[in-house]
Amino acid sequence: MSGLPPTTSVKRWFVTTNHKDIGILYTITALFFLLFGGVMALLIRLQLWDPTSQILSGLAYNEAVTAHGLIMVFWFLSPFAFGFANYFVPLQIGADDLAFPRLNALSYWLYLGSGLLLAVSFFQGGTLSAGWTIYAPLNVPMYTPSIGSTGAVLALAMFVTGTTASTVNFLTSIHHSRAEGMGIMDMPMFTWSMLATVWMMLFAFAALLAVGLILAADRVLGSVYFSATEGGSLLWGHLFWFFGHPEVYIVFFPALGVMLELFQTFSGRRLVGRKWVIISICLISVQSFLVWMHHMFLTTINLEIKTLMMATTIGISLPFDLVVFALIYTLIKGRIQFTTPFLFAFGALLLFILGGITGVFLGAIVLDYEFRGTYWVVAHFHYVMFGGATALFGGAYYWFPKITGKMYDEFLGKLHFVIFFIGFNAVYFSMFLGWETPRRVFEYNPEFQIYHQFGTIGAFVLGFSFFIMFYNFAKSYVSGEPAGDNPWDYSRTAEWAVSSPPPLENWPDRPSYASGKLEFVKDYVPDGGPAMKTDDNGDVATDGGDSHSAHISEYPYWDKHPSHASIWPFALSVALGVTLFGFSGFADAVTVELGETAMQSSVNISNALYPTAIVAGMLGLLYTGVKWGLEDFYAPPSEFAERWPFNGVEKVKLGMWFFLASDVIVFGAFLSAAIFVRYNAGWMTWSPLTESLPGLINTFVLITSSFTVILALVAARRESRQGLLATLGATILLGFTFMAIKLWEWNHEIFDRGVTISANAHGDPIQASIYYVTTGLHGIHVLLGLVIAIFLFVRAYQGHYLDDERPIEYFGLYWHFVDIVWVFIFPLFYLF
Amino acid sequence: MIDPVILQQGSDWRAQAEIFDEIFFVFLALGTLVGTIVVAYTLWNVYKYRDDGNRSDEEFDAPVVGELPTGQGGPKAKKLFLSFGLSAIVVISLVVYAYGLLLYVEQGPDTGDEGDIEIMVEGYQYGWAFEYPNGHTERGELIVPADQRIDLNITSRDVWHNFGSSDLRIKSDAIPGDYSETWFAVSSEDVEAQGGEATYRVECFELCGAGHSAMKGQITVLPEDEWEEWYASTGNSSESAGNSSSISASGVGAVAPSGVIA
Repeated sequence: MSGLPPTTSVKRWFVTTNHKDIGILYTITALFFLLFGGVMALLIRLQLWDPTSQILSGLAYNEAVTAHGLIMVFWFLSPFAFGFANYFVPLQIGADDLAFPRLNALSYWLYLGSGLLLAVSFFQGGTLSAGWTIYAPLNVPMYTPSIGSTGAVLALAMFVTGTTASTVNFLTSIHHSRAEGMGIMDMPMFTWSMLATVWMMLFAFAALLAVGLILAADRVLGSVYFSATEGGSLLWGHLFWFFGHPEVYIVFFPALGVMLELFQTFSGRRLVGRKWVIISICLISVQSFLVWMHHMFLTTINLEIKTLMMATTIGISLPFDLVVFALIYTLIKGRIQFTTPFLFAFGALLLFILGGITGVFLGAIVLDYEFRGTYWVVAHFHYVMFGGATALFGGAYYWFPKITGKMYDEFLGKLHFVIFFIGFNAVYFSMFLGWETPRRVFEYNPEFQIYHQFGTIGAFVLGFSFFIMFYNFAKSYVSGEPAGDNPWDYSRTAEWAVSSPPPLENWPDRPSYASGKLEFVKDYVPDGGPAMKTDDNGDVATDGGDSHSAHISEYPYWDKHPSHASIWPFALSVALGVTLFGFSGFADAVTVELGETAMQSSVNISNALYPTAIVAGMLGLLYTGVKWGLEDFYAPPSEFAERWPFNGVEKVKLGMWFFLASDVIVFGAFLSAAIFVRYNAGWMTWSPLTESLPGLINTFVLITSSFTVILALVAARRESRQGLLATLGATILLGFTFMAIKLWEWNHEIFDRGVTISANAHGDPIQASIYYVTTGLHGIHVLLGLVIAIFLFVRAYQGHYLDDERPIEYFGLYWHFVDIVWVFIFPLFYLF
Repeated sequence: MIDPVILQQGSDWRAQAEIFDEIFFVFLALGTLVGTIVVAYTLWNVYKYRDDGNRSDEEFDAPVVGELPTGQGGPKAKKLFLSFGLSAIVVISLVVYAYGLLLYVEQGPDTGDEGDIEIMVEGYQYGWAFEYPNGHTERGELIVPADQRIDLNITSRDVWHNFGSSDLRIKSDAIPGDYSETWFAVSSEDVEAQGGEATYRVECFELCGAGHSAMKGQITVLPEDEWEEWYASTGNSSESAGNSSSISASGVGAVAPSGVIA
């Protein structure tokens, strides 16, 4: 299915894998969630009008607060930025599309699906009410029992899954598909910001995925991580903020990128100290992982750690200073045009300066002690995160002509800015004035009522201003002036060098910066042969880029057209959404009564809807997964591209590396959790729950299977079909042996020793939970590997992989990784 | 760093509120100053270099579409580093200054011969319980003497709370299974000023459930002799029995498993 229906066809939007279409889908969906989260915000503000008002119940207020935070941070800010990133990063780096177009479509559908799951959770007895920080143990079913709470947690996990796919995609694209001559330092600043963003996301979101999965296990399977008094609450704090602090920059950096672009375009100046700005951005990305405990200054962490975190916190403010000054100095001696996009970007800078200064207050621990949990914090992070996002609205006006081909209404745009800016400061500056009000409290000290009433008025003004934007965009899309290819006087980046909107495959000919500026190169195409740029001697010219000439024979692309359509991303997302919906009600609908043995145990189902959804969803996942694997989808690699620092690494392998890097963090978080809880419980008071012999046998089984996978790759290279089948078959057998021993071990633990996921006849229940959840996550990885191995086996039987053994190689990478993880699990759970 | 006003009053310790107010004032003054300078400078330049169509800078070198960035350092990098250096000095000196006072807050002052009173604070959905050294437990209201340092040992019976009093500028997390500490002291002058009995509002600063908004308490400070009298009358109160053990025992595996493998 490579034919893409026209944009007027509804079908197109379900099957498209084109980065520009996906970008539009992201942007529009994100704006929908802006309205959704905005309605929640207005409910909060209405309740705050009067400290005695009874508009919402305590629980409903908490739900509104939680949903507002979750929706704005996850379902609005990042996806809105990723809408632009989808559309413009490939254009800015001179690529035809992202590296993995189908994966990109999947990211979007997972995003939309997760948002719908969150919306559904409101009708499952009420959504999560534990705040967007979801602190433990308020997040466990004992304190937040509704099915909807579980639904919201699973929605978050689904969102993060999509985000991880997107992260891998952007990292691979930017590191693999930059046009010839565009070195990494030459990338436009928006792309640079996105690159730093996705690098942070790779690690931060993996931590969030891990903590979300653990919470899901607590809520669905009955493990007791976050209710454990052996550090359960602090475990959540550490894991959440290890994600949560980088998250602040993850939502801010794309906006910063837009500011950096717009300041240049509308002043006609080039960025001052560009190199230093880039270095600062990289520094912040690294430093962002070293400050998380400044969110926990009032917990029991000791003075030494507090001092260290204070120092790193101040450290991270310094590169930001430099970036802010660079932005200001860029304007000087410019010809500043006060267009709507510039006003928003400039407004964002002013708001960010205020957010930054009030942030320094929070860095001083004594002040933080008092600001903790108050409206000072609320005001500060709205100035930083929403203040930053102000630039994204500037981006929307800036790129609107490129996306639609029409010009927006300048007067309405400026009106939007003025009302937005007034409303913004009215609602958030009043929070500084009434800062002593505790967060998430509506029965506040009546002394502060004047500030909260002022804030409520501001919130409605702020909300209203967006309707001007929606009206402007709708009206301009229908009847705006044609914008032309490049409506701005001083734009520089490549998206302005093509038509508005750009053609499906972006470029008239291959874009190249080899001469120092953008040119479109007509490549020499031999009769039916690969496109190849030759120099005077007739050799393949590489200009420092990696031409992959050695692999050209493996890409028979001259007789194929790139694919742009696939229904499977959508279908896969539906299947996952149905599965997770099923799991949200699983604990309530299904109870298991344990007998003497597994045979004597009984399963009681009180509500068939949820188990049915799980079964249907999982079958759907298997079906769509196989269809995905079999689909003939062609995404051509960029032959002439700058790939520093990953020269010579093939595209899919690079993607695999990025994926495994994030999986390392997921397992790292699970193992850290195990170590942290055990340390809190008293390290030596625990001895292994299980006997070490089955674990030892399993270690040998897995390591042997790593060898058979290597042999499979060798067999495929030697084009030996029988050898390939034998070694893959052996791998599958070893994998099943591992799972069988695992099953025996669990059966033995549950029925002979009374150790279940939530109870432990021999010690702390949390020890049993950690054992089942950690080895269970590993078991799921083995199981997933087995599904892929069987798929490969069947395909190999049909004669595939002998001319192209790369799928075997990439499966091997995954399989080795799963084996290595076991090498860490074995000593921790079986030996010591 | 000892406030002369306090010295005149005959005691040389400082309450957390005074330290907070001092640092807050310094940060607010400098923050306002720096913010005003930066914003005013920016606004002035944006106005000065607006595109009014009248300027014809010979040196103006308009960017073109498709150019690669040149001059990564740029001619203004020197100015950039000067501003950066200045801002770094301001920020670092502010934090070093505040750090000195942090050490004081962490250690707590010596308020005299009486010694400190150590009180266990336990948060629960939705209120506070205070346990005195003699085992007496008080709910909702913490009654303490003036001129004496009160050490709070704070924990939670159920979910994560945060014990705080904005008036006294004290705050600490109440985490199940964990004990955090803070202290406060109110001078007898302050108690006098409030008419012989000073009261301070206590609130919960961490979302803890449906009743979070209404989770209030009160700290009442009495003159020392009045308090002694009250405290003596609380001895062997029945309410106190076994409360401290419930503080540590509750929560362990308390959550009913909702799931399957149970």
